[in-house]
Amino acid sequence: MTSGYDAIVIGGGHNGLVAAAYLAWAGRRVVVLERATEVGGVARTVELAPGYRVPALMHDVSGLRGSVIRHLRLESHGLRVLRPPVAAVGLDPEGDPVVLHRDPKRTAEGLRRRPRDAAAFGRFDRTVRSVASFLAHLSATTPPDLERPSLQDALTGLRLGRALRRLGRRPVRELVRVLPMPVADLVGDALEDEPLRAAIAARGIAWTVMGPWTPGSAAVLLLRAARGGGAAGDVAYAEGGPGALAVVLASAARGFGADVRTEAEVTAVLTRDRRAIGVRLASGEEITAGAVVSAVDPKRTLGLLDPMDSGPTLLWRGRNLRSPASAAKVNLALEGLPRFTGVDHPAVLSGRIVLGRSIEHLERAADDHKYGRISEAPFLEITIPSLTDTTLAPEGGHVASILFHSAPYRLREGEWTDDLRGLVGDLALKAVEEHAPGFSDRVVARQVLTPVDLERDFTLTGGCVLHLEPGLDQLFAWRPMLGHARYRFAVPGLYLAGSGAHPGGEITGGPGANAAREVLADLRRRPRVPASRDSDRLPGPG
Amino acid sequence: MTNRYDAVVIGGGHNGLVAAAYLGKAGLRVVVLERRHLVGGAAVTEEVFPGFRFSVASYVVSLLRPEIIRELDLPRHGLEILPLDGSFTPLDDGYLWMTSDHGRTMHNLRRFSKRDAEAYDEFGQVMSDLVRFIKPIMGVVPPDPARLDPRQWLPMRPLWRSFRALPPDERVAFVQLMTMSAVDFVSQWFETDPLIATMSSWGIIGTFLGIRSPGTAYVMLHHYMGEVDGAFGAWGVQRGGTGAVSEAIASAARSHRVEIRTEAEVDRVLVEGDRAVGVALRTGEEIRARHVLSNADARRTFLELVEPGTLPVEFEREVRRFKYRGSSGKVNLALDGLPEFTSLPNSETTEHLRGAIGIGPSVDYLERAYDDAKYGRFSREPFIDLEILTLVDPSMAPPGKHVASCFVQYAPYELADGEVWDERNREAFGDAVVDAVARFAPNIKELILHRQILTPKDIEDTIGLTEGNIFQGELTLEQLFWNRPAPGYGRFRTPIRNLWLCGSATHPGGGIMGAPGRLAALEVLGSVRRMPRAS
Repeated sequence: MTSGYDAIVIGGGHNGLVAAAYLAWAGRRVVVLERATEVGGVARTVELAPGYRVPALMHDVSGLRGSVIRHLRLESHGLRVLRPPVAAVGLDPEGDPVVLHRDPKRTAEGLRRRPRDAAAFGRFDRTVRSVASFLAHLSATTPPDLERPSLQDALTGLRLGRALRRLGRRPVRELVRVLPMPVADLVGDALEDEPLRAAIAARGIAWTVMGPWTPGSAAVLLLRAARGGGAAGDVAYAEGGPGALAVVLASAARGFGADVRTEAEVTAVLTRDRRAIGVRLASGEEITAGAVVSAVDPKRTLGLLDPMDSGPTLLWRGRNLRSPASAAKVNLALEGLPRFTGVDHPAVLSGRIVLGRSIEHLERAADDHKYGRISEAPFLEITIPSLTDTTLAPEGGHVASILFHSAPYRLREGEWTDDLRGLVGDLALKAVEEHAPGFSDRVVARQVLTPVDLERDFTLTGGCVLHLEPGLDQLFAWRPMLGHARYRFAVPGLYLAGSGAHPGGEITGGPGANAAREVLADLRRRPRVPASRDSDRLPGPG
Repeated sequence: MTNRYDAVVIGGGHNGLVAAAYLGKAGLRVVVLERRHLVGGAAVTEEVFPGFRFSVASYVVSLLRPEIIRELDLPRHGLEILPLDGSFTPLDDGYLWMTSDHGRTMHNLRRFSKRDAEAYDEFGQVMSDLVRFIKPIMGVVPPDPARLDPRQWLPMRPLWRSFRALPPDERVAFVQLMTMSAVDFVSQWFETDPLIATMSSWGIIGTFLGIRSPGTAYVMLHHYMGEVDGAFGAWGVQRGGTGAVSEAIASAARSHRVEIRTEAEVDRVLVEGDRAVGVALRTGEEIRARHVLSNADARRTFLELVEPGTLPVEFEREVRRFKYRGSSGKVNLALDGLPEFTSLPNSETTEHLRGAIGIGPSVDYLERAYDDAKYGRFSREPFIDLEILTLVDPSMAPPGKHVASCFVQYAPYELADGEVWDERNREAFGDAVVDAVARFAPNIKELILHRQILTPKDIEDTIGLTEGNIFQGELTLEQLFWNRPAPGYGRFRTPIRNLWLCGSATHPGGGIMGAPGRLAALEVLGSVRRMPRAS
């Protein structure tokens, strides 16, 4: 049995690494245990063909918290964040593409042919930014304890109250009004052009099982906007692919003294008197520590606990957590890029490319999830990071990372097979082909990951990349569930630091950083574990 | 210029009548002006076909607030609610039947799933506890979230306290009810698909949402608030139809010297400076009053009855973007006898016909009905809440005959592909409804003597509800409480002084509840007390 750690982090995804780095930075002895051969979790790069490196799952790192980059000095460890000039483009085979620039003024100028929207876009962008500025505060905050609000909660409340007052009366009313709305109404109330609406609304549903008419999808868009970018949304690539970011994070964590171990699969959280005291690995090795920090999803975390410790109520609630998935991933290596209809400069394609020409198109793709069907007319979000980061492909070559909706985890008819996996790839290419004739011919290698593959390869329960559906019922003070949203999870000594905790999924480092803060606060209340201490006499709570 | 009143109420719907009654009871001189020849708004009884009387639009009662029944002494004025027992969902190969007879319900549920039968009571307990918790919210004037004035937040304190006093599991369930879809919520307890469908179907009544759309769990709770003689979750019908409820309230109002004028259509609200001073009728007659209460919805009130340019531009924009999206239709049938469901023949029992009959055999069926509406078609296979009202109140039809009320989801107000609600589409809609019932009760087609079809367009035209929305605006989360009918105007006041809203467009929303009318009247009275009385 190994001991002497203050904290064990289960899972070396970006959130696990961020949490570990913060804990080590604060002088705690930390070990990160990653099941796979490399760290990164959803932030990994895959080499599809020699010299072609594609984001395996997530392609956008724009959400990475600025304070995480600064605090952990990620740039000194080699992080380079590349921002393409265009945030997103909505393609329309029959008309001009809708280009959403990083600068809203440029976007508005580009909308000249849609004169009413040109003016409205600026107004809409400002509304989104003002609501998002408050949500950014909220994202950095540990949700309050509704049952027994502490002095800390009261202070947080006051701080948020001040932030609200600074917003002004109208934006506050707007804030409480828009969050539960469908994103289709959010954009529909403000803008008229259908492809423009769709290009923006797509961000309210990507990686979820919602359609644009699902109430709460506006909140998804706005929470994403809280990381910057306004109505258009931001996009950024880590040079070398998202896996490079994971390497940087691991290097930063190690730099502060953390141990990072790969091929170390945790199979159980050890408890004593219903308190987490360590973990057991697949190898049988046991490691103890004062705090066990899980960066894997909440359902899986519960699965690591002895059911006697979690108890029937928590198990029941855990089972009812919603982690549906309908997103597949299609990764491509391309020997060149054909011309996209209506696109006169490749820079237009440098951000998120939205293939979803109308709100109805997006909604119909989401309908397929409800009935367990693979979308014949999918909604795609594509990035071609090699347009911005030339290190990802050989000269002249490109890589494309495609998010495919809907490919439900649970199919109504039968199971996922290789044929169906191939079908998803073919449907994606067919959809792209409509906009870029000759695209398929340029493909030199392709990889299709269905939700079932995501569950197996990325350790995501149900294939849910965001760990939990970001519905209104699984946000903030009730993410993952009411009473367990303050990063302390299930039993004392166990913490949740992954996307299943507030502020949720994607590459942000938010849950990891917030969780580390709470872990440190608890560890400070207890004496440190001396390196040689007998593990039988671990300090109790309080 | 002729009369002078303390208050004039535009529209004699049940909320307008409730408001008038409360104002009259407090000693104010009040007049109610109703456009049609009868009061009641959506709560009217009409003899549509000779000998057959229908609760034309709204048909069940039980949300009516007990304090209103008590304070206005409505039973003395004719209120008499007859309970409906149970809910029957015919399936292609069987049926689901839940009644107040606990043993029978358990027996029926066990055939589907033992686990579900066990969870049934637990679920009922959670729901009734939460209804008890949430009911006080119905009696609170919403604060404005953008104002920190502690006085407006005071009424919230007991609610916060009772929230914290809830057992942890029920706190969780409450948060879920406010945020989840009906199906997701119900599925936590049950596994049988038809049971989940039946339980969830209350979540879509009057909304343009599917049972899988977040927000429908709340609408479900809203309908759970039904109460008949203190029994939670119970539904009933008024003897003589819902029009008799309106008549009872009108009678109570008259007993407090409220004047009620029918066929008195208001043309516009008279505004002088920044305040409302009365109304002008279509006939040109002007009625002056210190207070003007509008029972019409927000769009009618502010965009049709108020002179353009009177309201702040921002407010007008809010009013315009308030969502209506009527989604419900109604088909009233005059029947020559009782329909017979294949899965439970009338020779065995007819008791199952005495409650609510739900045509909606599966979650997918209901969700597909919604999908049709989303893309601008009425549901080809609609959800129907069917009640044979004559089994509870035989006075509604000649002996041996019956009236059946079919409340239908979905019939979108706006049809796609250039279609409009013309005679052809109305009949096609009626056919779809009859076909949906006939799938389970084939004999219904031969029994139909007459049928009356109300599309959302018809509901708008006859009753005056914008886009045919039965709740005067969707009951979606962003249109509840302090956002109803516009952010910053959740307190019955409007930008025009002395002009008030008192209908379902305000908190706590629709259904024959009366709460908006009562709360609005109390707010008016509160403002009157702070000012010198009318001379």
